[in-house]
Amino acid sequence: MIDPVHLDLEILSELKEVMGEEFTFLIEVFKTDSIVRISAIKEALASKDPDAVRRAAHSFKGSASNMGAIRLTNLCRKLEEIGGSGNINEAEVIAEEIVDAYSHVEKALG
Amino acid sequence: MGKVLNYFPSPAKILIVDSNSSERCLLKRFFLEHSYIVVDAASGRDALTSFKKHRPDIVLLDLLMSDISGFDVAVRIKALAGDDFIPIVFLTSLQDERSLVRCVEVGDDFLAKPYSQIVLQAKINSLINMRNMQLTLINQRDEITNYNHDLLQQQDVAKRVFDRIAHAGVLGADNIKYHLSPLSIFNGDVMLAGVSPTGNLVVFLGDFTGHGLHAAIGSMPLAQTFYTMLKKGFSLREIVREINITLCEILPVDLFCCAFIAEINFNNCHLRVWNAGLPDCVIYRSSTREVVKLASNHIPMGINETLNFDATVRVYEIEPGDRLYVWSDGIHEAQNSRGDMFGEDRLMDVFACNSRVENLFEEINTAVDHFIGDSAAEDDVSLLEITMIKADLFKLDKRAALNSDGLGLKDWRMRLELRPETLKSFDPLPLLLHILMNVPHLQPYGGQVYTVISELYSNSLEHGVLGLDSAVKLSSVGFTEYYQHREASLAKLSKGYVIIDLDYSGNEEGGDLKIIIEDSGVGFDYQQMLCEDAFKNQFSGRGIHLIRSLSQSLHYAGSGNKAYATFVWSD
Amino acid sequence: MAITSTFSADSGDLVIAISGRFDFSSHQEFRGVYENVDVKSGAYVIDLANSSYLDSSALGMLLMLRDYAGGDEANVSIINCNNDVKKILNVSNFEQLFTIK
Repeated sequence: MIDPVHLDLEILSELKEVMGEEFTFLIEVFKTDSIVRISAIKEALASKDPDAVRRAAHSFKGSASNMGAIRLTNLCRKLEEIGGSGNINEAEVIAEEIVDAYSHVEKALG
Repeated sequence: MGKVLNYFPSPAKILIVDSNSSERCLLKRFFLEHSYIVVDAASGRDALTSFKKHRPDIVLLDLLMSDISGFDVAVRIKALAGDDFIPIVFLTSLQDERSLVRCVEVGDDFLAKPYSQIVLQAKINSLINMRNMQLTLINQRDEITNYNHDLLQQQDVAKRVFDRIAHAGVLGADNIKYHLSPLSIFNGDVMLAGVSPTGNLVVFLGDFTGHGLHAAIGSMPLAQTFYTMLKKGFSLREIVREINITLCEILPVDLFCCAFIAEINFNNCHLRVWNAGLPDCVIYRSSTREVVKLASNHIPMGINETLNFDATVRVYEIEPGDRLYVWSDGIHEAQNSRGDMFGEDRLMDVFACNSRVENLFEEINTAVDHFIGDSAAEDDVSLLEITMIKADLFKLDKRAALNSDGLGLKDWRMRLELRPETLKSFDPLPLLLHILMNVPHLQPYGGQVYTVISELYSNSLEHGVLGLDSAVKLSSVGFTEYYQHREASLAKLSKGYVIIDLDYSGNEEGGDLKIIIEDSGVGFDYQQMLCEDAFKNQFSGRGIHLIRSLSQSLHYAGSGNKAYATFVWSD
Repeated sequence: MAITSTFSADSGDLVIAISGRFDFSSHQEFRGVYENVDVKSGAYVIDLANSSYLDSSALGMLLMLRDYAGGDEANVSIINCNNDVKKILNVSNFEQLFTIK
């Protein structure tokens, strides 16, 4: 049973309808993309660049919201705000939560 | 023209620009599902390349991209699109007002992530509709531009065709000055000048109602009728009647032609004028500086098939040096920047202030130009000046003889007896002239021969058959009276005749035409003609002096009712 | 430019009053005023009391009315002309076609 906090099944079934046969392809694209986004976030944190953090989080937020990944979306928004504020002291913690949230989503998508 | 333009490229092509591949994938799928042609790009740079290559109808643009910002991409795409309206919709999850306002300033709309499919589709559809509307407008604008270009070209062709007809005339003669606006034909003005076989100069100024092509419609048949009939020797009355009938037939009810026509006989110094609806024209007497106004006294041409020409034509005696000025209302209505019209008073002031008559024509033009000033009003002025000169100075190039191949009437005789019913209503001179024009090599002398026959014929008809007294003609008032009297007597005519007998023989070197004209009248005391002094005073009304100067011999027989003239020509 | 039309109470004539410049711009309006109107007396009166100027296309429009009203049999009068208007009508000798008062 998937926790709707991780993945909104209604949105997912809508996507299935829109994408038809290409739904599996979309999932693959999302997974590949997410790996790239997560490493972008980590890179930005390593170089202590708040704006890079903001952009990476923003981008991940977009695709996460499209997939109906609610918790992941919210965490990305939070990180985006932190990046925007310029003070990224708490960013590390959020980033770890993002990685965790994504692992749930990945598992749920199968 | 006539090509069906497809304004709506269907289906629409959409360019999706998003650095996030799952977003791109999703949007791509969505639009393919809705029958769009989809191209996509993952970066700002790719977007510009793809735009140039595919020229999409609409662009979906991610705002945050790593290489070039969405705003910058949008500015460049708009520049590439130029006049073409290619809507740009920003894809953004940004919420701040400034960014959203900027989206609408730089692009055309924005979509907030996550998208609602219904809103997405509605926005794209409405923007595509806007684009199609704009394409339609641009295409219509181009069509109008092309149409206008075509129209100007057609006008130019029409103008050149018309110029060829109108300029077959003699507006270039030394004693004529004229000013016509370059597109006068489309202002409805027509100016014609020609010479009759008798050597009279006939000028015509017409002003059709309205402007543009419909004002020009009547000009062509008018000019053609004028020149053809004039060349064939028809009288002014018949030319005017024919033009009027033609115009009545072809013009719609609300279109007509104000006209002024003048015939100048340089031999006997008579000017006949007829004004049907043009403003007062003017004879300017060089010796007395008197301005004689020639007012309109007839309804314009093309309104009523029946004309009252004889009662409204006016005859004036003129002297060499006198000038005739003819204009349409373009001069009177010339406006300055304040909207005032030049008007008749200012026109008359130019005459009053003139000191050297040779400059008057230029003075009128200058006065109008000064008055109009910089108001940049379209030149709509038609002005004509004719100077009276001595007959021998009015010479035009003799046209090459038409029958130069030597074929035609070389040796012949004809006798034409005209009885009352014919005399009343038919002018035999054009018919005779037509016959004479078929005599080889005689054409260059057509004017002289015509004058001799026409003078003898009118003597026979007016003094012989109708019994009119030529002495009445001596004053200018009497002149008009005379012609009114002539008309009345002709209408009542029930007996009498005129016989015209022509006998010709000739070869390449020359020929000899005997003209015998006999009438049913009582004749006149031709013996007295032998006395030079008496003849000058008493018989000038019969044009005998003129006939003598043109023919080799003239004598009378019987009671004076039979005239013999010979016309001899040689190369 | 305004055109109004009324039926004269005593004669039943159609009275068309024109104010301002009478020129081509009033072409449609002018036609609209008399076309498809049943004029029992058959007589038309053009009142130019408030008309300062007419151009040649206005003369054309008058001819159209005359034609509509029966051509040579038409009964069209033009009234209350100022001097400028009278002069324009005179130059074209329209008194031969219309009753000018």
